Amino acid sequence: MAGGRLMGKAIGMIEVEGVAGTVLAADAACKAAEVELLGWESIGGRTAVFFGGSVAAVAASLQEGEEAAGEVVEEVVAAPLNQPVAACRDFISFPPDGGLEASPGALGLMEARGYGAHVRSIDVMAKAAAVRVFRVLSVHDRVVCTLIQGNVGAVQEAIAVGRELIGSSPYFRCSAVIPKPEPQVLQVFGQAGSRRSWRG
Amino acid sequence: MARIGALGIVETRGMAALTAASDSMLKAADVRLCGRHGIGSGWVAVVVSGEVAAVQVAVGAGRLAAERYGELVEAEVVVRPQMEEMEDMPHGEGVAAVSGDSSGALGMLETRTLAPLIQGADAMVKAAAVELGGWSSIGGALVHLVVRGEVVAVRTALEAGRGAAAGTGEVYAALTIPRPAAGVEGLLPAAMPGEPIEAGALGILETVGYAGAVGGGDAMVKTSPVEILRLSGASGGRIAVLAHGRLDAVQAAMEAGASAARRSGELDNACIISRPAPEVISRFGGAGPASRASGGQALGLIETRTTVGLVKAVDQMVKASQVEFEGRYKAGYFLTAAVVRGDVGAVRSALDAGAEAARRYGELVAAQLIANPQADLEGRLPHR
Repeated sequence: MAGGRLMGKAIGMIEVEGVAGTVLAADAACKAAEVELLGWESIGGRTAVFFGGSVAAVAASLQEGEEAAGEVVEEVVAAPLNQPVAACRDFISFPPDGGLEASPGALGLMEARGYGAHVRSIDVMAKAAAVRVFRVLSVHDRVVCTLIQGNVGAVQEAIAVGRELIGSSPYFRCSAVIPKPEPQVLQVFGQAGSRRSWRG
Repeated sequence: MARIGALGIVETRGMAALTAASDSMLKAADVRLCGRHGIGSGWVAVVVSGEVAAVQVAVGAGRLAAERYGELVEAEVVVRPQMEEMEDMPHGEGVAAVSGDSSGALGMLETRTLAPLIQGADAMVKAAAVELGGWSSIGGALVHLVVRGEVVAVRTALEAGRGAAAGTGEVYAALTIPRPAAGVEGLLPAAMPGEPIEAGALGILETVGYAGAVGGGDAMVKTSPVEILRLSGASGGRIAVLAHGRLDAVQAAMEAGASAARRSGELDNACIISRPAPEVISRFGGAGPASRASGGQALGLIETRTTVGLVKAVDQMVKASQVEFEGRYKAGYFLTAAVVRGDVGAVRSALDAGAEAARRYGELVAAQLIANPQADLEGRLPHR
């Protein structure tokens, strides 16, 4: 892509507060049309996911992604970049890790402010069902999101138990379960330090 | 895998509170420090492990210490933890190996924003025989500095440092530990080596955002013969421009820098230290980035609170006019800026187009044009 514009191509961007909404948006975007996840970026507790494809595919993905994120956060910013200049790619801090083994199984998300809350919730979630911690994401402004993996039923049970523990905290933000996450989503949000994939 | 009895977690707002809590926990019971993790906006957590009863006692002691030196967020005991799940947690990387014995007392001054911390550091080394340790930021503009020495010296220094810092800004905490527990050192920031720098005066111009700092720094070097040492990020969007020179030169530069920073962004603080201690300058102002070639072209900066707004702005700028994208900078993990280069006219029209895009897709913080950037400033700009 050196120098020139991506002729006939587009990049879609979806940005929300926290990271759980961004993961949901990325998954929905990949399922909606043929797009490639390019990575994500974080500033001040907000995160944005980037995906590339044809102008039409990106438009369709943006719509689905925006809707999916809207289920857990109030404000969603979604924008296309048609034939973007090369510099736009410089803002993607976390490209996908192709070496990361994408494992089958559901993905559970638990987002709250505070680290102690996550240590406690991980303990109760791991004791409640056969789930494994896939990744713990800290994205500034105290936002921490735990990503767990396992069979759909186990992940649902674990998230329910974790939510019981920290759901009433003023710092709780949201939780969600993606029954069949896109492998691309795991590769993009599992990179940068994650050494563990689900071996269930 | 060996099962351990319990994990203890103490989470605080502020590094002095966390350091005090960690010291208390390690002294109160037989527990091991497993890690530390900061999650921004000043929240930091420490994790210990040990037998259930020991961890309970330790967390109780840590809670009291944290409340005394700052804000406690959470103090919890996790009994018989699922260790496998805790293995790769981010706190595992947060503790440095401690080399050698550190004798003597430990002092920590914690302030909001960098200017009062530097004022405090200068007062501390002038007040008593203490050695400056490292400094670091933990988000929310909270910054802390470590000093070491005999307990009386550390206490005297902190008293002086607290007073000097309070004259410029907000002191968040001042902590003295007469005999720190082994292991506490591993939580503290390392001191970057640097040669002491002699100067008549040190000027500190602190802004919210990169655009204000660059605009202010540009005005400073154009006004009088001062040397910019570095632009230092202090989290919470704060950037401090450090410059040194003769006192009258620094005074003139700071006046011009402050009004320029006000025009181009948000000025947080502008203060001058006359006859600063040489080790203070090297601690806070040493090891700036290598110089870059400017090619005599104008510089344009767009700064926003959101990534989408900024990327949209960059796309528009490069498409709208003959400018080159040069780099980006995150001001304290809170604001995000992009820098473009070109002829003055091209940069001006690029900024207009970029500002509109940024406003539409987020919040524009600043759009700044530096028509004729000085080489002295260029060499110190941290964006890449």
